[in-house]
Amino acid sequence: MAYALIALGFVLALNAAGAVNFAHGDLVVLGGAVAVLLAAWLDLPGVLLLPLVALALAFAGVLAAHVAILPLARRPPEQTFVATLALAAMIEQTLTLTLGAAPRTTPPFVGSGAVMVGGIPLGLQPLSIVIVGGVLVAALWFLLERTQVGRRMRAVASDRQMARAVGIPVGRYVPLSLALSGALAGVAGFLLGHQFLVTPTQGAGHMLKAYIAVALGGWGSVPGALVGALAIGAFETLVSAQVGDAWASAALYAAVLLVLTLRPRGLFGEPVGQRA
Amino acid sequence: MAERLATLIGIYGLLGLGYQLVFGQLRGLNLAQGALFGVGAYATALTAPHLGPFALLVAPLAAAALAALAGPPILRLQSHYFALATLALASLVNLVALHAEGFTGGANGLVGFGFGLPRGPGLLLAVWAVLVPSVLAYAVVFRGPTGEKARLLREAPLVAATLGIDGALWRLRAFVVGAACAGLAGGFSAALTGVVSPEATGFPVMLLCLTAVVVGGARHPLGAVLGAALAVLLPEIFRGLQAGWLLAYAAATLAVVLWLPDGLAGLLARRREVPAPAVLPHVPPAPGPRRLAVDGVGKRFGGLEALNDVSFAIGRGEIVGLIGANGSGKTTLLNTIGGLERADAGTIALDTTRLDRLPPHAIARLGIGRTFQTPIEGETRADGLARALATGAVFLLLDEPAAGMTDRERAALAQQLVRLRAAGRGLILVDHDIDLLTGVCDRLVCLDGGRVIAAGAPAEVRADARVRASFLGVPA
Repeated sequence: MAYALIALGFVLALNAAGAVNFAHGDLVVLGGAVAVLLAAWLDLPGVLLLPLVALALAFAGVLAAHVAILPLARRPPEQTFVATLALAAMIEQTLTLTLGAAPRTTPPFVGSGAVMVGGIPLGLQPLSIVIVGGVLVAALWFLLERTQVGRRMRAVASDRQMARAVGIPVGRYVPLSLALSGALAGVAGFLLGHQFLVTPTQGAGHMLKAYIAVALGGWGSVPGALVGALAIGAFETLVSAQVGDAWASAALYAAVLLVLTLRPRGLFGEPVGQRA
Repeated sequence: MAERLATLIGIYGLLGLGYQLVFGQLRGLNLAQGALFGVGAYATALTAPHLGPFALLVAPLAAAALAALAGPPILRLQSHYFALATLALASLVNLVALHAEGFTGGANGLVGFGFGLPRGPGLLLAVWAVLVPSVLAYAVVFRGPTGEKARLLREAPLVAATLGIDGALWRLRAFVVGAACAGLAGGFSAALTGVVSPEATGFPVMLLCLTAVVVGGARHPLGAVLGAALAVLLPEIFRGLQAGWLLAYAAATLAVVLWLPDGLAGLLARRREVPAPAVLPHVPPAPGPRRLAVDGVGKRFGGLEALNDVSFAIGRGEIVGLIGANGSGKTTLLNTIGGLERADAGTIALDTTRLDRLPPHAIARLGIGRTFQTPIEGETRADGLARALATGAVFLLLDEPAAGMTDRERAALAQQLVRLRAAGRGLILVDHDIDLLTGVCDRLVCLDGGRVIAAGAPAEVRADARVRASFLGVPA
């Protein structure tokens, strides 16, 4: 479910910017780091920290849009890719310099114990990841499908020029989408950081998972990203139980190559067709 | 120390030069270059005990072989999918390096293989003796027509295909040659350090290569070497900053992308002279096929019947105008003839050669040229027409050549078209300017909903009741 939050944030930024935000994985790490710092400073329970982290990362998302995405809007998408890659390296190095390379842990969301549900012990943290994730996915669905702001965001994503032609201020929706994208990344970083710790170099791994989820689900498709992320999570859990983590990753990459060879546009195709 | 740095610059320069082929020239976001570097390093380390200095030759071969094997399926992919596939390939290589312990030494890597390899000044000499001719060869190759073809493939792949350029073959060549450069660079690096560990295949090497090429200049012949020099020397200069130098380096990369899109080498390059507007010189008669025939062609897009049982033929020295309302199938018909779309039914033939199963570049080479509605950025439609003619095409498919032209430009265009006809070319002309078409065309074909509703002399077709109703908007 945490993969789903990362992938959804990634696809929102992708649709708004029309280019890959390679710094997205590092925004997730930054979310974890902010949670670590805020917890040390404020001593608030996890439930109250969460909105603060989301807010801070929304701000970071807007900043990223202004630094590395908006100035390159009229250039080929590869340039945005390289610019955000540089931004990702900057975030990673800044975190290494300020926090050190040692892993830190974020506070738990509600508690670190377990509850018994029908005789099966369920960790509180994984449970809260699933619940918070589910609530956010539902909220995002509501925003995109049922509100005017969401409809406009989808319009900008599917045809930027047409959106401009009907009077949508496209320039304003890019930072807005990046803010949402950053907030989702922050929440994911916070929730993942308790169990899997926060290390500055994790960004590339998060990024790769989101990239795979979005490419498999169909480039730019929001439900596709969700399905792709859940599929990756399930695949990793099942396969790593059989053969261990390293070969599970190898199997994942091999599966990605195989899928792309057979279905060059992802498992479910692209929502927007290629224009000649 | 200086010797080691100079060797390192040469090694990364070679890695970057190979990367420029795919990333710079063809704009393919290849993320496997770092892993191919690692493959070269391992290949050298594994074979050096048996082959001595010749192990360096194994490195480019191993990397090129892997690229040639993996290339065909992944090079078909579009931008993001291509990046992902190369990233997955790189991650696989990295995992094998880490976990196939019996073969690669696992996380500890391989050591103690270097006694037979060149080292010190000999290695420095060897690296630069490869790099300098490679940079020169790159400069010479991409200054001429090859560079122009690469530009078309990069900026307008469809146009490139209709000019007879086989994009798939180009991408494979660039990928394999680039991989050989990466492999050799990896082999040299194994000789330099005497250690090969999984880090050689890791993402940081890829990142270094990508940023060096972007900072130096993605296409300029000196771009890779300049970028490599900065990547090697900056950390030496900022040694006092410790980890801070990486931050500074990343910030510098971002600054270059934002303000110097052509990289540092862009500062060296002279401003390009403004190209003269294309004028059609004397058009020589061209040998080749005599007749283009479209017979019963159909094309569906999902539920939409774009073309339905379309038949007509054109010979040399003829101009046929295609008319019809928007969406009637005119551009689809041109695309189908040129091979950009594949017909679902019917045949298209040039004399006796069937075209309807050939890829666009093969059709172009048989003598069919094409222009598009929108010119490439920074060019005019006349440039597009000149380029199509320069392929020696006998039959030309012109999609709205007069759109957006002034009356005077239209008159000049009409004259050019008539000259082309006199030089034995056959022209199929799509346009909305019915007066222009009536003036120059020998015959008109009117499409409506993907079907031919009228064909014949311009005056006849214009007088046809159905044509008047569907296209001219005059009630019958």
